[in-house]
Amino acid sequence: MPLVSTNRLHKFYGKNHVLRGIKLDVEEGEVVTIVGRSGSGKSTLLRTLNGLESIDDGVIEVDGARLDVDHADGDTLRALRQKIGMVFQQFNLFPHLSVGQNVMLAPQVVKKMTNAEREGIARDMLSRVGLAEKFDAFPDQLSGGQQQRVAIARALAMSPKVLLCDEITSALDPELVNEVLNVVRRLAAEGMTLIMVTHEMRFAREVSDKLVFMHEGRIHETGHPQEMFARPATPEFANFIGSLN
Amino acid sequence: MISFSLWDIVRNLAIGGALTLLLSLVAFVLGGAAGLLVLFARIGKWRVPRAMAQMHIELFQGTPLLLQLFTLFFGLSLFGLDMPAWLAAALGLTLFTSAFLAEIWRGCVEAVPKGQWEASACLAMSYGEQMRHVILPQAMRLAVAPTVGFAVQVVKGTAVTSIIGFAELTKTGSMIANATFQPFLVYSLVALAYFVLCYPLSHYAQSLERKLHAAR
Ligand SMILES: Nc1ncnc2c1ncn2[C@@H]1O[C@H](COP(=O)(O)OP(=O)(O)OP(=O)(O)O)[C@@H](O)[C@H]1O
Ligand SMILES: [Mg+2]
Repeated sequence: MPLVSTNRLHKFYGKNHVLRGIKLDVEEGEVVTIVGRSGSGKSTLLRTLNGLESIDDGVIEVDGARLDVDHADGDTLRALRQKIGMVFQQFNLFPHLSVGQNVMLAPQVVKKMTNAEREGIARDMLSRVGLAEKFDAFPDQLSGGQQQRVAIARALAMSPKVLLCDEITSALDPELVNEVLNVVRRLAAEGMTLIMVTHEMRFAREVSDKLVFMHEGRIHETGHPQEMFARPATPEFANFIGSLN
Repeated sequence: MISFSLWDIVRNLAIGGALTLLLSLVAFVLGGAAGLLVLFARIGKWRVPRAMAQMHIELFQGTPLLLQLFTLFFGLSLFGLDMPAWLAAALGLTLFTSAFLAEIWRGCVEAVPKGQWEASACLAMSYGEQMRHVILPQAMRLAVAPTVGFAVQVVKGTAVTSIIGFAELTKTGSMIANATFQPFLVYSLVALAYFVLCYPLSHYAQSLERKLHAAR
C-alpha cells in the first residue's frame, strides 16, 4: 500500500479550477519531484496534501490518516499533519524563538515531550542538518541557507512519515543553494519519503525516483526522471524541457 | 472674598491631578482587560461574538467620547439609574479604551505574517497553541509601542469627564480659575500638569518604537 495516496483531487479558487482530478501514489522511501510551469498547480497540490488548502472533491490518505471533503475538521487535520512535515520557500522560522526553541516547540506542545526528550531530539536534528552549534542562536543571526536547514530540522523533529518541500531553495542566494540541497540529498539517501517542487532540474533528475509533470491542474506525464527527459511522451513536457535551456 | 495663595492653587490642582491619574489607571487597566476579551471575540472563529465585538469597536470608535459619557450619565438616569460622576467617568473611559485597544491589538495580530500561521499549522498545532506560542508573542512585541502611545490619549481623554462634573484636573482647574479670577495662571498650571503626566509616556513610546525598528 502506498504511504501517500490521493484520488480524484479537485480544487477551485473561485471559478479557477486549479486541481482537476489528481491521482498520486507515493511509496514509502520514494522521492517524488513535481515540475511544471508557473500556475500549473504544483504548490496547490502540495498544500492540499497537509490541509493548508481545502479540497473540493477527492480523498487524501497518508499512512492511515484520511482526509476528504466531509472529514476535514481540526482533529482530522492535526492527525494528518502529524504524519507530514513541510518546508517553505520563505523558511517561516519563528523569529521570537531561538533555533533550539524553534525545533522543540511542536514536540513540546503537540507531542507533550519532556524537557530532556525534546532537547535531545532538537540537538539530534540540528546536527543532522549540520547546525548543532547554532542551538542558542536566533533566526535573524543566520544566513538564509542556515535558516532553511533549521526549518528542515524543525519539520524532522516531529518524525514525519513524509516531507513536503515547496521550492525550498528559490529564496536563497545561489551560493547557499547547495548546502540545503545537500541536506535533502542526504535525507533521500537515508530513505526519507520526499515530495518536492523544485526548479533545480539537475538535482531533481539526480535524486528523484519519480518525476511528475503537472500541466493545467492535471498530472500530464509521470515516470522515471531519466527516461522522461530522454523520451518525453507528450509535446507539453517536451516543450517544458525545451524552455528550461 | 477668600483669597488663594499660589500654594492653595497648586495643592488643589495636585488633588485633581491625582484623580486624573487614578481615573487613567483604572480606565487603562480595566479597558485593557476588556479590550483583550473584545480582541479574542473579534479575531475568533465564532460568528456572533465576532459581530458583537465589531459593533462594540465601531460604536465606541465612531462616536465622540463626550457623547458616550453624556449617554451613560444622563441616559441611564432617565431610567432611574442614578450614576455618580466618578462611576460614569470610569465606565465610559473603560469602554472607550477597550474598543481602541482591541482594534490596535487586532492590527498587531494581523501584522504577524501568514507564514507564521502556516508553519505552526504544519507542525500540527491547534488554533490555541498557535495563538499562545507563535502569534501572540510576536503580536505583543508589535503592540507595546502603540499601546503606550494610546495611554497618552487616555490621560488626555480624562479631561472630558470634567463635563459631567467629575472633579479631576480640568474640572478642578476651572473651579479654581472661577474663584481666583486668574484663568491664565491656573490653566497654564493645568496644562503643565498634563504635560508632566503625558511626556514620559509619549517619550517612552517613541523610544520603544525606535528600539523595535532597530531590532528589525
Ligand atoms: N490563494 C489563492 N487564491 C486564488 N488563487 C490562487 C491562490 N493560490 C494559487 N492560486 C491560483 O491557482 C493556480 C495554481 O497556483 P499554484 O501556486 O499552485 O501554481 P504553481 O504551479 O505552484 O506555480 P509557481 O511555479 O509559480 O509556484 C494559479 O492560477 C494561481 O493564480
Ligand atoms: Mg508554487
